[in-house]
Amino acid sequence: MAVSDNMDREIKVKVDHMTKRFGDLLVLDDISFNVKKGEFLCIVGPTGCGKTTFLNCITKLYEPTSGEILLNNEPVNLKKHNVSYIFQEYSTMSWLTVEENIAFGLKMKKRPQEEINLAVAEMLEVVGLTDYKDYYPAELSTSMLQRVVIARAFATKPELLLMDEPYGQLDIDLRFKLEDELLKLWRATGTTVIFITHNIEEAVYLSENILILTNKPTSIKEYMKNELPWPRNVVSPEFVKVRNRVTELIKWW
Amino acid sequence: MKTRFRGASKYETAICAAISIFVFLCLWELAVRTTAVGLFISSPITVIGKTLRSIVEPLGTHTIQGHVLWSLSRVAVGFVVGSVAGVVVGVLMGWYRIFEAIVRPLFEVIRPIPPIAWIPLAILWFGLGESSKYFLIFLAVFSNVTMNAYSGARAVDQTLVGAAKMLGANNRQVFTSIVLPSCVPQIFAGLQIGLGSGWATVVAAEMVRSSEGVGWVITKGQDLNNPLQILVGIVGIGVIGYILAVLMRAIEAKLCVWSERGK
Repeated sequence: MAVSDNMDREIKVKVDHMTKRFGDLLVLDDISFNVKKGEFLCIVGPTGCGKTTFLNCITKLYEPTSGEILLNNEPVNLKKHNVSYIFQEYSTMSWLTVEENIAFGLKMKKRPQEEINLAVAEMLEVVGLTDYKDYYPAELSTSMLQRVVIARAFATKPELLLMDEPYGQLDIDLRFKLEDELLKLWRATGTTVIFITHNIEEAVYLSENILILTNKPTSIKEYMKNELPWPRNVVSPEFVKVRNRVTELIKWW
Repeated sequence: MKTRFRGASKYETAICAAISIFVFLCLWELAVRTTAVGLFISSPITVIGKTLRSIVEPLGTHTIQGHVLWSLSRVAVGFVVGSVAGVVVGVLMGWYRIFEAIVRPLFEVIRPIPPIAWIPLAILWFGLGESSKYFLIFLAVFSNVTMNAYSGARAVDQTLVGAAKMLGANNRQVFTSIVLPSCVPQIFAGLQIGLGSGWATVVAAEMVRSSEGVGWVITKGQDLNNPLQILVGIVGIGVIGYILAVLMRAIEAKLCVWSERGK
């Protein structure tokens, strides 16, 4: 189980003195941390603190100004490394059915049809959309769309999954449901997850470790282990204690 | 669905359409019988009767359906070539910056020229035969299809492109699995407008010079001082144009289930 001791897992992502400037604007200031294999890391920080810039550096959309990001001890190479990215927008292909959407990544990677069928059937089952596999996105609700997107990302069995406030626009009830689904998928696949959010409760609920960022220019305020036992209960006193601590860290500069 | 007003079923829409056409014909009939309008125009009953009769009695060398088929065959050639060229040029122009920078200025200069303005040149270049008509219809279809395919390719959702790349699609795959399918609705809109425009252009081309086709029916009617024949030609053009539009919409509904359904 992925939740067990952090210490003896190998390092998956190594962020080494990463700095990013846009012209004179210093966005990320000398950030270093490691993510272990199979870890669930949440990054929280005030809005506009460069969380997304950070993800874009990992996915090579931007080159960091200095420092580097290593995946499996080598520079990130999207052709070679299997990295998935889930955005806040519901990026389903409207001309493909649910099933075809989930199969998309595997098709692009030209996997054998048999493997695709198996993986897609499994994902449909996990996110509970088997009965809807022939539906088009226009016929689905918001939560179903986001499930399709998540299933599509997990179907390719990514070694690293980046999530950028994927539940930012959902109502609370739905968010809880999808968060539990995400944890289920994460445990089942052992994927390393970096999850960005500004929702402190969400971060405390999901993470093994929490990285708290400061305002711009962004640096690391604190790296916090979150050792709350599973399953977590958002109203338990222990949970509230951790949540308050994160809140304090974000509030006081 | 976009073609229907809110709350109306397909059935209700059809009934409304039938009523509005029927009322229009009644008013026309009434005007012809009771006012001086009758001096200028035949009554709808006469026009419809003559149209139906021309199915068996030829106008000139062909029956009305013969003329329609002639015109349609001309449109078909220009439409197929124009659509293929339009989709290719439009999508490439919308997706590849360099192609856009090179081709768009030329296209923007040619686009506002109505196809019929090319008639004299077309005749000089291609003669009075079929080729000049194909050329004119090609132009009409091409500019509409290109324009729509272009705006479709420009409007491709960059989030989807990003998602596809993240899921392992290379540039070619992004083009074939994201750009092309997401342009399909706009391409269809272009094909619809193009077909309408092609049909209008064939009439103009046939009016200038031809010995068959619906355009010929009209011009010949004028030569023979026969308003009834002109009206028969006009009715034919209208009815066929309507049928073409309905057919295109049906094909679109079939091929774009995903954008029609659930809306």
